[in-house]
Amino acid sequence: MTSKLTFPISCSAAAIAFAMASPALAGGTLAGSSITNTATINYNVGGVAQPAVNDSETFVVDRRIDLTVAEQGTSTTVVVPGQSNAVTAFTLTNTANAVLDFNLAATQTVGGTASHGGTDNFDVTGVTIYRDVNNNGTFESATDVAVTFIDELGIDASVPLLVVANIPAGRATGDVANIRLTATAREGGVAATLGAALTQTTGANTAGMDTVFGDAAGVADAARDAAHSDDDDYTVQTATLTLDKRSRIVSDPFNGTTNPKFIPGATVEYCISIANAAGGASASNIVITDVLPTTLTFVAGSILLNGTVTGSTCNADGTAGGSFASGTVSGTLASVAAGATRTLVFRATVN
Amino acid sequence: MLRNLFLFAAATAAVPAFAQADPSVSLASDVMVERTTVGPDGRTQVSLEEPSTVVPGDKLVFVLRYRNNGRQPAADFVVTNPLPAAVAFQGSNDGSAQLSVDGGRSWGAIGDLMVTEGDGTRRAARMEDVTHVRWTFAQPIPAGEAGRLMFRGVVR
Repeated sequence: MTSKLTFPISCSAAAIAFAMASPALAGGTLAGSSITNTATINYNVGGVAQPAVNDSETFVVDRRIDLTVAEQGTSTTVVVPGQSNAVTAFTLTNTANAVLDFNLAATQTVGGTASHGGTDNFDVTGVTIYRDVNNNGTFESATDVAVTFIDELGIDASVPLLVVANIPAGRATGDVANIRLTATAREGGVAATLGAALTQTTGANTAGMDTVFGDAAGVADAARDAAHSDDDDYTVQTATLTLDKRSRIVSDPFNGTTNPKFIPGATVEYCISIANAAGGASASNIVITDVLPTTLTFVAGSILLNGTVTGSTCNADGTAGGSFASGTVSGTLASVAAGATRTLVFRATVN
Repeated sequence: MLRNLFLFAAATAAVPAFAQADPSVSLASDVMVERTTVGPDGRTQVSLEEPSTVVPGDKLVFVLRYRNNGRQPAADFVVTNPLPAAVAFQGSNDGSAQLSVDGGRSWGAIGDLMVTEGDGTRRAARMEDVTHVRWTFAQPIPAGEAGRLMFRGVVR
């Protein structure tokens, strides 16, 4: 009985409300929008349906300023000394319920624990913030656009940012430079212009739209300050090479290979080993040259490249290569990984 | 038949002669914001405030006050409140409220309702799916009787 009575109640209005229902978003209901709640009573008196009684209450949704700056990924950016355009990547998200501008600042910390655990001990140079236009996490000077602020960022919208810097030469493996990106929310509304600083509505509440700072604390800013920050860092990894040269007598014309002596006509094997320290970067295109003394004659075709070392003994496991010209032995090692040792071996006879 | 009668009544609500018949039930709808603050002694305090500063995520308490000012009982008494689109339902203070997640077409307890997703799949309804809340009174409201209904929501 009651269900029959109530079924038609504001059916069309209900359908609209249902269609408008949307999942909760981080940004939420647009600041300045009104929420009107209407309740309705339907009833009978003496069996006669009476006009519905309505009452409404309306309030305005205020502006909650909220934003997030977060490093993309969870690892340091590995760089080599002298590298240009080294990239740390961040994402700025507008979690406010209003369209806002965001001022950007990339700063360097001095000392202290860096984003990924090391201790900051140097500064990078030429720090510039770019908008990662194609959102690929890679800096392309022809595509990405240098920015000092983000203009009119929509509710729940994110923008990928790249902090691009140059690494000074002469840094050692394990050196760390910490980078801090801070975004501060500013007034939106005027395109292509950084809006004015935001202020919270203080004192008595107003019936209209108030401004409330609702942001969390970042790595270097307080909660509810309309700013958010995060760190990322550069870690230097370079190759540290050490060179060792050894020789052994292979044979002489009288004793052959049994206890050979260092006499004219004897064959001597030289081994030049290149060791790359563990924990650094792989080294590539290592060019080795060795000028032979005039008392030695190079054995043609005897150069072996890329051999290994066991303890302090050079193994005869290289591959033929290299060249000999103008009294100089030369060869190129394509790559020596960190912690590995590779050799150039050649033979000569004593004059 | 009853339904037709109701529609007729609603359609002619604007006619003054009819409206004078029994303009005797009043309704007041209020919204308050529930704030939880931690005092210096570490105890949390919950207060209800006027909705002057409201941001997404704030908890709202809706209070509906009704009164039968007439000289006769009001029968088939139904209070209906469609939820504003920007408010997610968070429950009513007593178990007597009926809920709808389909714009008022079907009603029941939250556990009995289903929602059809955009891709056609059906799932159990959640509080935030509620589109309408209503209270249906089995007994007439006697003359002079007043009451209060409450439900909670959160700003989306």
